[in-house]
Amino acid sequence: MWLVSLRDLQFRARRFVIAVAVTSLVFGIALAIDGMRRSVEGEGPAIVALFGADQWLVARGATGPFTTTRVLDAATAKVVGGTRGVRRADPVVLSRTVVATDPEKDANLVGHVLGGLGSPPITEGRKAQTSGEAVVSSGVPVAVGDRLVAGGESFRVVGKTGEGRYYFGVPSVFVSLHDAQRIVFKGQPFAMAIAVRGTARAPAGTATLSDAQVERDLNRPVEGGIQSIVVMAVLMWLIAAGIIGLIVYLSAIERIRDFAVFKATGAPSRIIVGGLMLQAVLVAVAAAVLGIAVSRLVGLGLPFPSEVGAAGVLQLVVISIVVGVLASLAGVRRALGTDPAVAFGGK
Amino acid sequence: MPDIRMRDLTMEYSSGGSVVRPFDHFDLDLATGNLALLLGASGCGKTTLLSMLASILTPTSGSIHVGDIEVTALKGAELSAYRRRTVGVVFQSFNLVPSLTAAENIYVAMRYAGVDRRAARSRAHELLAMVGLEDRMHHRPAKLSGGQQQRVAIARALALDPPLVVADEPTASLDYVQVDGVIRLLRDLAAPGRVVVIATHDERLLPLADRVVELTPRPTDESRPPERVELAPCQTLFRQGDTGHLVYEVGDGRIDIVQELSDGGEHLLAVIEPGNYFGELAPMFGLRRSATARASRDCHATVTGYTLRDFRARRGDLASTSVLERAADASLDQAPAGL
Repeated sequence: MWLVSLRDLQFRARRFVIAVAVTSLVFGIALAIDGMRRSVEGEGPAIVALFGADQWLVARGATGPFTTTRVLDAATAKVVGGTRGVRRADPVVLSRTVVATDPEKDANLVGHVLGGLGSPPITEGRKAQTSGEAVVSSGVPVAVGDRLVAGGESFRVVGKTGEGRYYFGVPSVFVSLHDAQRIVFKGQPFAMAIAVRGTARAPAGTATLSDAQVERDLNRPVEGGIQSIVVMAVLMWLIAAGIIGLIVYLSAIERIRDFAVFKATGAPSRIIVGGLMLQAVLVAVAAAVLGIAVSRLVGLGLPFPSEVGAAGVLQLVVISIVVGVLASLAGVRRALGTDPAVAFGGK
Repeated sequence: MPDIRMRDLTMEYSSGGSVVRPFDHFDLDLATGNLALLLGASGCGKTTLLSMLASILTPTSGSIHVGDIEVTALKGAELSAYRRRTVGVVFQSFNLVPSLTAAENIYVAMRYAGVDRRAARSRAHELLAMVGLEDRMHHRPAKLSGGQQQRVAIARALALDPPLVVADEPTASLDYVQVDGVIRLLRDLAAPGRVVVIATHDERLLPLADRVVELTPRPTDESRPPERVELAPCQTLFRQGDTGHLVYEVGDGRIDIVQELSDGGEHLLAVIEPGNYFGELAPMFGLRRSATARASRDCHATVTGYTLRDFRARRGDLASTSVLERAADASLDQAPAGL
């Protein structure tokens, strides 16, 4: 089985090389966009984890701190912070803003108590220490030391962080709570939520949410996008299966006489089936390996990170084997349906 | 090793809606050690017979025994095992796998039969040496001449030392230079313990044969006197698929020419009136009757059968040109009054 399949691959090498090249492109794109999905799905848990909160207090009726339009008094944090079982309670302001770069860039605005919950880990520069200072996610096109205008307020960029992307890779600008209140609430002492470390009893007019509830709320607006990515990825796998299937089917048609001879001389059907499937799987796996490199190139052109990772590669290899097997079915059917009497025909 | 016995073999299939019956209650015995030639014109059923021997086609009825094996009863794994172990097939157009080398073509056939790698490789080399191709073992078929390819195909057929070898027109694709080695090889194939059956129209193979089986009807004795036949209404003169030696002229009554259809029905092709003739194609071209002739339902009929020579002498209009024109017309409109 191995010998006949490999020799046939060699014999029709040019065609199979083209099939591998084209399929690897499709696999690469599929892998890259699947990496996008992983990246987007990871954003919610990452930004929620950044706050290090055990609970979130929001205004009653609010679905979550990232999506709410109902606000609460920031002073509530002091009341909650003084209650038993609460180690820390900090108000946070979460909103969208536009950074006045050229071109303008959308960003998430994160207002937090400096040094408190919501302070991002720094990869370059230092933490914000006072009003008028900002830490930005990588992806905001400014350097440490630059001036940055966000929401009409001017900030000095003092640090950068690798965290803070959410809503499909939109980067964040981390500023002091008061600066955020000035931008969003014209200086009114409101907050979207109180991040609580410990366990708090919700004061009147508020409700508590867990991290998981906050993540679900945060992911809801991007679910449609994630589903679109999944659909795109599945379409890519199907296209890859179609390409491999077509090549294997064409090969099967050209080899009808060979299959007829195999059947006429008593070769077991499993040999014929296995040989064709093996060819398809080999093409698919070769395309998958090449597709990993292609995905890196495709990832360079994407607006936000594509987290391929070992899991993605493993998934690609497994899917490529499945794709190969499925792709070979039409050819297998054709081969098994070959009448051995065909072998007795003339040229 | 087995003798071959075919009993009451009928093979029937549909072609263009009509029933074709290349074998109708056919019997044949072949003894071990024999090299048998199946001779006959194209379409007479040589390849069909080989296919039935190789158990690639199943006869409509009748039985084939190869030794103790009832070939016509084989199914599934037993059928595959029979094809692998008992029959070696040499195809007209060689049918080597183009992506494999000469040695690999033989090696693969043995591997499929479960022979281990080392033994299969060794046997492939041995067989290629036997057919004089030890220096072409690693060449693909495209790099071999037709004669060399056929020798590889013969070596492949012998790979598992089968007791029955069937060869379909083994010299048809070869020129006279290439055919020499193949003929010598075929001559050596038939040995005690093996039967070799070759379908061919190559008369150069005749001296090799222990047995010649003519599948095309031999022309009848041209000195045979005219044969007058009286038919009751609906009585059949000859059936579709019968061999035919005589041309018939209608004396009285009418003859219906009908074609048997594969769905069991019939199609009336022509009604032959007194003074007209029918049935000349079969004796002229060595064909089987392509339709059935019988007296019309509403009358008795009298016909006279003539040999071709007598008919030509009697009817000047059976000149070859006019008959060929009728034959051509018949093939076009499926109304072979000349059946």
